[in-house]
Amino acid sequence: MAKLPAKVERVPWVTDGSIEAEAETLFALWQKDHGEVAEPPVPVDDMIELQLNMRYEIDDLQKRFGHGDVLGAIWFNEQLIRVDRSLDPVEHPRMLGRYRFTLAHEIGHWQLHRRVFLRDETQMSLTSAADAAAFVCRSTDQAREEVQANTFAAFLLMPRDLIRRAWIKWRGTDDVVCVLDFDASTSPGSVKARQDAAMQRFSKPLAERFHVSAEAMTYRLEALGLLTRDRSLFG
Amino acid sequence: MSKKQPAFGEFIREKRLAKGYSLRKFAELIDVSPTYLSLVEQGKVESPPTAERVRRMAEVLGENPDELMSLAGRMPEDLPGIIRSEPEEMPQLLRAAMGLTADQLKALAKHAKKLQKEGH
Repeated sequence: MAKLPAKVERVPWVTDGSIEAEAETLFALWQKDHGEVAEPPVPVDDMIELQLNMRYEIDDLQKRFGHGDVLGAIWFNEQLIRVDRSLDPVEHPRMLGRYRFTLAHEIGHWQLHRRVFLRDETQMSLTSAADAAAFVCRSTDQAREEVQANTFAAFLLMPRDLIRRAWIKWRGTDDVVCVLDFDASTSPGSVKARQDAAMQRFSKPLAERFHVSAEAMTYRLEALGLLTRDRSLFG
Repeated sequence: MSKKQPAFGEFIREKRLAKGYSLRKFAELIDVSPTYLSLVEQGKVESPPTAERVRRMAEVLGENPDELMSLAGRMPEDLPGIIRSEPEEMPQLLRAAMGLTADQLKALAKHAKKLQKEGH
């Protein structure tokens, strides 16, 4: 069988730990300059303009790029982040989680990738048109820099300490919750669907407080070992 | 689109940042959507914000409303009525005052106020 050519990545591999450290550093800097964030949500809107001093615009990106799945983009040289107006959380309240995740994702590109990109500036300017964004972020893109920016976004929007504190305040303890223990076998659907529904029951209250989607919160709670669907991990 | 709008948008952006308001926060304070405010800042709206809205922006930013109004390409809403109240003399006065310096205009306004106090 012919071997597939190796995919050429634009950014180096880094551990999730160092991505979390980048997110935690930005959050710490924000709190040092603007006071402690004792309660969620993490103010990502404010961070772009007031901490990173970047330009921030909401625009019709679908028109600008000519396809419908671009939600955010970053221009490194102009220090500019743009998000698509379909995400405006005032015009479209149910997009709030998506809006904030997109902002945090673009901040991730700035924190993680600007050095790589700016070093490459001369090369890039040879190949890109005047209005071309450095990274145009599509929801379906699985390139390494997009995955890293998503990882960063989760860490920034849901900082470890803030989550743990909120969880303890709500549950009264940091004991792990296993959804198997709460699975009502009378409810309809497959085992997987019932588990997903049970997971969301536990992630939703926190998701609402952190202004993120229930899916994003579920992943984060699982990663922090506060919520699990599989008791065998502990058995 | 008015030529003044890009300057207006940039002015608003600078002033709100100086006050420490993010786009979303300032939009909330003046009761518009973040998208609308951003388009105003980019000079991309068809017509400038309403006089009432510009007044609200001036209030939140602590800026002179008349100045902001002119930068936005809006005439303060009381002016057309004032001009129409004396359709001959008022335009004459304004044309006569054209080209005077700001200080001369201030002196003229002071004199007008004095006349008003003394009664007609």
